[in-house]
Amino acid sequence: MSHLGLSTAVPRARSRGSIEISIGGSLLSAWLFLAIFGPSILGVDPNQIDLVAILQPPHADHWLGTDQLGRDALARILMGARIDILMSVLGVLPPLIIGVVVGLVSGYFGGWIDSILMRLVDITVAFPFLVLVIAIVGMLGPGLDNFFVALALVGWVSYARLIRARGLVLREAEFIQAARGLGYPPLYILFRHVMPKALSPIAVYAMSDAVMVMLAGASLGFVGLGVQPPTPEWGVMIADGQPFVTMGWWICLFPGMAAASLGLGFLLLSDGLAGRLGVRK
Amino acid sequence: MSTSTVAPLVSIRNLSVDIVAAGSAVPAVRNVSFDIMPGDILGIVGESGSGKSVTCRAVLGLLPAAARLSGQILFQGKDLATMAESEMEKIRGRDISMIFQNPSSHLDPIMKIGAQIGEPLRQHQGISASKARAAGIRVLEDVRIAEPERRIDSYPHQLSGGMKQRAMIAAAISCGARLLLADEPTTALDVTVQARILELLKGLKESRQLSIVLVSHDLGVIAQLCNRIMVMRRGEIVEQGETSTIVADPQHEYTRLLIASQPGRRQPAVRSTATHAAPILLAVRNLVVSFPRPAGIRETLTRSDRTFRAVDEVSFEVRSGESLAIVGESGSGKSTIARSIIGLIRPSGGTLHCDGQDVTALTGDALRRFRRSAQMIFQSPYDSLNPRLAVGEAIAEPMIQHGLMTPKAARHRVGELMEMVELSPDLARRRPHELSGGQCQRIGIARALALSPRLLIADEITSALDVTIQAQILDLLRRLRDSQRLTMIYVSHDLAVVRTFCDRVAVMKGGRIVEMGEVSDVLGQPKEAYTQELLASVPKLFGADPVPVEPQHA
Repeated sequence: MSHLGLSTAVPRARSRGSIEISIGGSLLSAWLFLAIFGPSILGVDPNQIDLVAILQPPHADHWLGTDQLGRDALARILMGARIDILMSVLGVLPPLIIGVVVGLVSGYFGGWIDSILMRLVDITVAFPFLVLVIAIVGMLGPGLDNFFVALALVGWVSYARLIRARGLVLREAEFIQAARGLGYPPLYILFRHVMPKALSPIAVYAMSDAVMVMLAGASLGFVGLGVQPPTPEWGVMIADGQPFVTMGWWICLFPGMAAASLGLGFLLLSDGLAGRLGVRK
Repeated sequence: MSTSTVAPLVSIRNLSVDIVAAGSAVPAVRNVSFDIMPGDILGIVGESGSGKSVTCRAVLGLLPAAARLSGQILFQGKDLATMAESEMEKIRGRDISMIFQNPSSHLDPIMKIGAQIGEPLRQHQGISASKARAAGIRVLEDVRIAEPERRIDSYPHQLSGGMKQRAMIAAAISCGARLLLADEPTTALDVTVQARILELLKGLKESRQLSIVLVSHDLGVIAQLCNRIMVMRRGEIVEQGETSTIVADPQHEYTRLLIASQPGRRQPAVRSTATHAAPILLAVRNLVVSFPRPAGIRETLTRSDRTFRAVDEVSFEVRSGESLAIVGESGSGKSTIARSIIGLIRPSGGTLHCDGQDVTALTGDALRRFRRSAQMIFQSPYDSLNPRLAVGEAIAEPMIQHGLMTPKAARHRVGELMEMVELSPDLARRRPHELSGGQCQRIGIARALALSPRLLIADEITSALDVTIQAQILDLLRRLRDSQRLTMIYVSHDLAVVRTFCDRVAVMKGGRIVEMGEVSDVLGQPKEAYTQELLASVPKLFGADPVPVEPQHA
């Protein structure tokens, strides 16, 4: 309750985080465009094996060169963008939704519900993230679907913890007390009043989580549990190209750059959102 | 006092402060000139945003980085406005000190009181730690903290709010400052503690030849302590002069409004006594509310009682159409009672019969339905509204949620309710932060009335508002109470408001009602010592009971 009158006189700088948001946003939308329209514009089959033209450096016919089976690298990267973007969305959304619901219920209602849900969280975080994902995928069998299932089972805990903390604070907020006093149903208060106010750190975290998921996907592809050949995926492309890296620098470099730029897009957007929404990371 | 032959201690000439934000400058203080004389207690009074605090901080060079300052601040022949930061540091705490509104946030929580008082001594006079400790004990004695030898080793959280403010004063004067700038030093304190701190400041002025600048929004506090008053509004001084002159014969229109808005400057409400025969709407019997106390090792081992009673065996009744005030200091349990009545806090004992139902026995949907008949207005107008909802939606929400109206009909009703609280329905699309504090509080009232409750509980609803706005909100509530035939419980620490607004009053202390009865009896001839102390602590403009003026004003 400041009577100084300064807090109101200094509006938050409008431009905060807007550079990051515009760069990150452009990177992401560029990749989205390339993933949707790229393969048909290029018109080259990413799985067309051409054993005559293996390990060719970039030139006019193959702009980004060819791999050890003579497949066009550009076509594979463009097709891989579909897989990798799908992976970061489907790898983030289900755990986000589960985590938000669990965290909100846990933080807002407290009591024994909170105790049970939080012990579940403790058990899950007791295992290293990647080890648990690999173990679950190993049990369910390799493939993209099972990878998403594993992520949903493991990834929700971070969201649940984040949003539970917000729920605990918001539960005591005066406008929530007022809503209770006005006799609104509990679930209505939870989703209409508590959730929107609790979501801003989640949005920021989801962006950096997308990068984590991409890395996890690449790691799983690397050990053969992720995307199965011949489906192009950047992690798999890097892994497959690794034995040939001494013969051709381009084989791992281009998928690596693609992954890095998409990740950078997510991270910049996350940073920008954090600044804009006033979330400390 | 004649000061014409004495040179001023600090002379401020043409001081302007602009706050630069997003490329544009917002003026916070405009071309202000005044003198602070030795031995002066100068009061700066004004509403939030009037520039009173900024003026005060400018003297010590404690403005935020976004501030641009022009003009002169002359102290001992030097201009503080252009002084280098390194030189300024030598003056701060040694010649000029400052104390702040909230002692809890201005004391370092992990440093002992003694170290914080000794710090300026060691910085400015370079004396040893042991000498600083001895000097610290002497200063603690000066600010009349009991057992200074023990208290010097306390941490801030071990002290009460009043003691913390005393410790902050001690740190401020430990180097023998000539001028003490006090920025709302008693605003966060209870009225009895406030009275003692003001008494202390007055004593220090005499014993230490201290000059004081007291910044406050409360004209009563200023009038009680200061010999000179400066009234500020929108960054300008509208009037300044001797306290007695300004209070008795204000020249500027704004000063007159400020004086007229003082709570208690009104005729006590003349209300029909017919309520005596009215049926009982709310009956509270032996209400107990306990909260768990954080347990230390000793409590756990000895298994001693780990709860404390915020409300302890309280009983009272409210008749239909009556207005009951619950007064008391912070921690007395008055807000806890208010929240128990609408079922926000579950009592640990006793019964609460409202409108024929025992609220303590209600759960789920029954409790939600009960809330149609009892509603509450909250203290902070901004915090009690969802910042993301347009205020019109906030008013419509209760009617839709209780299934009383279709969304379309509710929207129409919002307009009526907003007119009822004297707001233009055009404001319905605004968000809370786009409205002023007074407007937001009107929205809060409209929302509470949306369900047409029989009982309206107002929990400190004016304490976050400026005094002129406060008067307007009370006028509105008075009119609504009469036109809607509302039964009210008015929770407040402000006896002056209670005197003019309510029929009966319950005085609370430590979770119990110490005295209860008709307002005129309890506040006119208080029987309990605590009520008497509470009444004596209320700052008065004229040093006596307020003279009622005409109820109508601008």
